[in-house]
Amino acid sequence: MENVVMETPEQTVMERLELGTVPPPDAEIPRAHTFEVKNLSIWYGEKRAIDSVTLDIASNAVTAIIGPSGCGKSTFLRALNRMHELTPKTRMDGTVLLNGEDLYSSAVDPTIVRRRVGMVFQKSNPFPTMTIGDNVIAGLRLNGVRNRKLLNERLEKSLRMAALWDEVKDDLHKPGTSLSGGQQQRLCIARALAVEPEVILMDEPCSALDPIATAKIEELIHELKGRYTIVTVTHNMQQAGRISDYTAFMYIGRLIEFGPTTTIFTNPREKQTEDYITGRFG
Amino acid sequence: MIASKHILGTFDEALASLRNNVLMMAGLTERSLDRATRGLFERNDNLCLSAIADDEEIDQLEKQMDKDGVDILLRFQPVASDLRRVVSAMKLSSNLERVADQATSIARRARKLNQHPPLPEVDLIRPMHEQAISMFRDGMDAFVREDVDLGCAVVQRDEGLDELNATVNRKLVERMAQDPEQLRGYLNLIFVARALERVGDHATNMAEEAVYAAAAEDIRHQNLAARA
Repeated sequence: MENVVMETPEQTVMERLELGTVPPPDAEIPRAHTFEVKNLSIWYGEKRAIDSVTLDIASNAVTAIIGPSGCGKSTFLRALNRMHELTPKTRMDGTVLLNGEDLYSSAVDPTIVRRRVGMVFQKSNPFPTMTIGDNVIAGLRLNGVRNRKLLNERLEKSLRMAALWDEVKDDLHKPGTSLSGGQQQRLCIARALAVEPEVILMDEPCSALDPIATAKIEELIHELKGRYTIVTVTHNMQQAGRISDYTAFMYIGRLIEFGPTTTIFTNPREKQTEDYITGRFG
Repeated sequence: MIASKHILGTFDEALASLRNNVLMMAGLTERSLDRATRGLFERNDNLCLSAIADDEEIDQLEKQMDKDGVDILLRFQPVASDLRRVVSAMKLSSNLERVADQATSIARRARKLNQHPPLPEVDLIRPMHEQAISMFRDGMDAFVREDVDLGCAVVQRDEGLDELNATVNRKLVERMAQDPEQLRGYLNLIFVARALERVGDHATNMAEEAVYAAAAEDIRHQNLAARA
């Protein structure tokens, strides 16, 4: 029979800590991993952009990838849904498992991978000829969904999840490009959500937005992490500190340090991380 | 202390200014404590008055440190060792201000004692004074040099100072019973001893902040002997 430690209200926190019935405040809670990346290397022609990166990405959490320009963070992000393969002369080595499944297995269709792992880009890119509504359900239509009721349901649900519904519900017939920059970015997030992905990748999603629109996207990221695993690339250190649970620091294609965001931003283990986040090199 | 310069020169300047203010405040506080205790041992009212006068400047420096610290947090959003140094400097200034308050308290008690014939029991205070002032200096040194070992050593010395205080208290209470005529004087010495014991507590806090700034380790409320 399992040895159960009884806890009474009279016990002090210290006593409960000693009994092991309360995790200490800095205890690392074990988490499931959506991605398991092992020894990933990527080349563009002769140039190695990613160099033997091994990293597990926690489920239902936000992982931020930071590092100076050209460090390979966007390439790493794109490797998580095989989007880097759209660039000619790319080559990869290593494995990327999505919920235990090898993304690079010959049996896996890259278009299916991109449906399971959605992406939001630096600059919002609504389809210019489509209405707001059609933009959201474009992915579903591309996948052959014709059921109007389902499309309408998914349209509203996605826009609500992207915190855009109240602002556009009466203007669904207007062009997507008629929205403000921040709204367009949330429209793109709604479009990514409509196909019900498992993961959302974000490549500097706020870098072209004003502070108010940025705050809305950050709030949205916080709400979405309950349902999705989110991986984001950002140049904004304060943003990484605000929105992410884990932070990875990359430099010249290598993963220098990875850990809980609080640890990385208060007590990084590696000097290179410290120098970068404190603004001593970039 | 700072390994290399930031890309943003104004950030380096702001951090250097904060550090200079801590050092200036520590220097003034140590001087105030020294003047107050010398005022007691040498029965010198002028030294006591100087110690009391120092307090106002230290209060102003504390306010300046808080303002500068908040300004750095607002303007530069420091992280990692920079963040720890700013937070620790702000907490250190608060402890320095309280040490200065204790120096003022000692100076006021000394002035009262100086109005009456000398009490030989003042000598009971000397070991406490030596211990408290050395803890204060080492706590500050640990912060300046980011010396984790020295910081931990200071924390461990606080218990010794508490025991000295208990001994001094016991002896002075005994003397009160034997010589009620001098009750007021003995009571003033008890308050001086308590002020020195409080200086030790603040030196301990400063040493703990030094360890946090240097190694991101929170050693407060721990049994350091067990840790070692």
